[in-house]
Amino acid sequence: MEKILDKKQIDGWVAALTEHPQGVGRGCNAAEAATTTLWEVHTPALDEGIWTYQPANGTARLDHPNTKQSPKEFAFPQREIFFSFEQIKGEAPRLTQIVPKEQRHAVFGVRPCDGRGVPRMDKVFTDHIEDKYYTSRRKNIAYVGLACNKPPSPNCFCLSVGGSPVSSDGLDVQMTDLGDRYFVKAITETGKAMMAAGGKLFADPSAADQKLLKKTHDDAVAYPQRKINDPDGAPAKLRANFDSPLWQEMAQACIGCGICTFLCPTCHCFDINDEVHNKAPLSGQRVRTWDNCQFPDFTMHSSGHNPREGTGARLRQRVNHKFQYFHENFGMHQCTGCGRCVSECPVGIDIVTVVNKVTEHVG
Amino acid sequence: MSDNIYLPQLARVAYIKEEVVGERSIKTFRVEAVDGKLFDHECGQCAMLSIFGRGESMISIASSPLIKEYKQFSIMRVGKVSSAFHELEVGDVIGIRGPYGNNFPVDDWRGKNLVFIGGGCGLAPIWPVITTAVAQRNDFKNITVFYGGRSPRDIMYRTELEKLRGSADVHLSVDKAEEGWDAFCGFVPANVMDKAPNPGNAIAITCGPPIMIKFVIQNLREIGFKDEQIYTTIENKMKCGLGKCGRCNVGKDYVCVKGPVYSWAELKDLPAEY
Repeated sequence: MEKILDKKQIDGWVAALTEHPQGVGRGCNAAEAATTTLWEVHTPALDEGIWTYQPANGTARLDHPNTKQSPKEFAFPQREIFFSFEQIKGEAPRLTQIVPKEQRHAVFGVRPCDGRGVPRMDKVFTDHIEDKYYTSRRKNIAYVGLACNKPPSPNCFCLSVGGSPVSSDGLDVQMTDLGDRYFVKAITETGKAMMAAGGKLFADPSAADQKLLKKTHDDAVAYPQRKINDPDGAPAKLRANFDSPLWQEMAQACIGCGICTFLCPTCHCFDINDEVHNKAPLSGQRVRTWDNCQFPDFTMHSSGHNPREGTGARLRQRVNHKFQYFHENFGMHQCTGCGRCVSECPVGIDIVTVVNKVTEHVG
Repeated sequence: MSDNIYLPQLARVAYIKEEVVGERSIKTFRVEAVDGKLFDHECGQCAMLSIFGRGESMISIASSPLIKEYKQFSIMRVGKVSSAFHELEVGDVIGIRGPYGNNFPVDDWRGKNLVFIGGGCGLAPIWPVITTAVAQRNDFKNITVFYGGRSPRDIMYRTELEKLRGSADVHLSVDKAEEGWDAFCGFVPANVMDKAPNPGNAIAITCGPPIMIKFVIQNLREIGFKDEQIYTTIENKMKCGLGKCGRCNVGKDYVCVKGPVYSWAELKDLPAEY
């Protein structure tokens, strides 16, 4: 389904999604559908100088470069309660599962790099065994993407990692900015239903619209970006250069803040901890929170032995996981080229430069 | 939510034994299901144990899969959760989920000589293989057990090890000589070198501190063991046990899924981040 939406009508479409029931969400059964027919819509909003996803409030704007954080938090929240527990010493505890709410979420303005993060996260949380905290949220989320007519950041490199500024991978709907209107294309059945909900707000594209779309996409792909020189050769070359002294050299300035992983659309590592509310009788909850391979205690055994001692080993882990290990397991890089970790690193560590240096190093 | 992979089953502590006291104290726990039965497991697999309010820890299952009534765990007091375990009393209820990881390919080893080499609390992960092999004694040829601790007080499963004699050759050691100790004095790898077990039709299974494993493997190879004949078990820090949280990641493997059991032929291909 391909349609044209006047930019002035974007709030009308959002309202249609939030106010009118339109059938069932992906993978929902009938009972669940009853409670999930309305979308909660999130759009990028500028909040004190930072672009974040906010609940739509009737003033949606899609002129953002990219959001500060990736939209991974919708399926994989930064903090999530698994269950609560109550226990009297010596007795069996009472465990109460906390189940994610059945609520459909539509995330608007998702850039192609972040869209491509979605199938990568899906792999992590469904491979080997299904993580239902993730999948029960994920099945209720629709990603409405916005193609990048030109790179929104000077650190974009999606073309180097198999992506494209006009990729629709991971999206349900793809929008392209054509000046005063959007070209809107349904990618999935969910996307079709969402567009159908907009009804007459949408018009059929003219031949001129199609022509402009093609030119916009062609120009977008031709726009210069930063470049990883040999992405296909990276897995083998990183493997060969595991012991390179370059790792420590390049990680010298790293302060282990972990911003690179928190902002990343594909970093998925997490911690599980018990939070205690009351000691006797015991009550509390078991909580999952995002975690970070750049923290020294991430791998430290309780004996004090640390298999990844030093910032060099930890930088190598993040880079190799993205460009070697994930590729060896799933045949794709676990980096989508959004450039956030490059732009936001407080000490200027740059994954593009790191991969290029290590893969070009002859040891 | 059915199939909640993070929700533990409840288990009651039925037995506690102090194996080692002092600075590196080790206690053995046997736990039984509060309701129904616990999962079945294979030799070498682990379980995620939790004390509510303190957290979870991945612990090797130290009992043989032949024992269905309880699961045994021997835990050294080192961190937050393991310290909480040492405060437990019989009757207390904990959480358990599992089993996690792969297993020692014990069925492939029938008809072979088995050489076990353990150090410190590294006897626990290989104990299920030792006790299974002894229980099915006729299925295996010679069974040899090397085991060492820092001092005589650090030797765990002391009574059980003595009981093995007759079924197995047992070679104990302590790191430093001490009065009253008449077995080998020196590190475990040195004891292995001293006795030089025959690599013919043999499998060597080792577990202990990382530094011990390194030198044991080095010495085994010098004696003539091939990489495929050497097995070990590595246990990195783990949070989920399901190949998702990223903690135990070594190269392309999540140790909690692909490991913890590796032959040296497989392990030497991975980065030495364990």
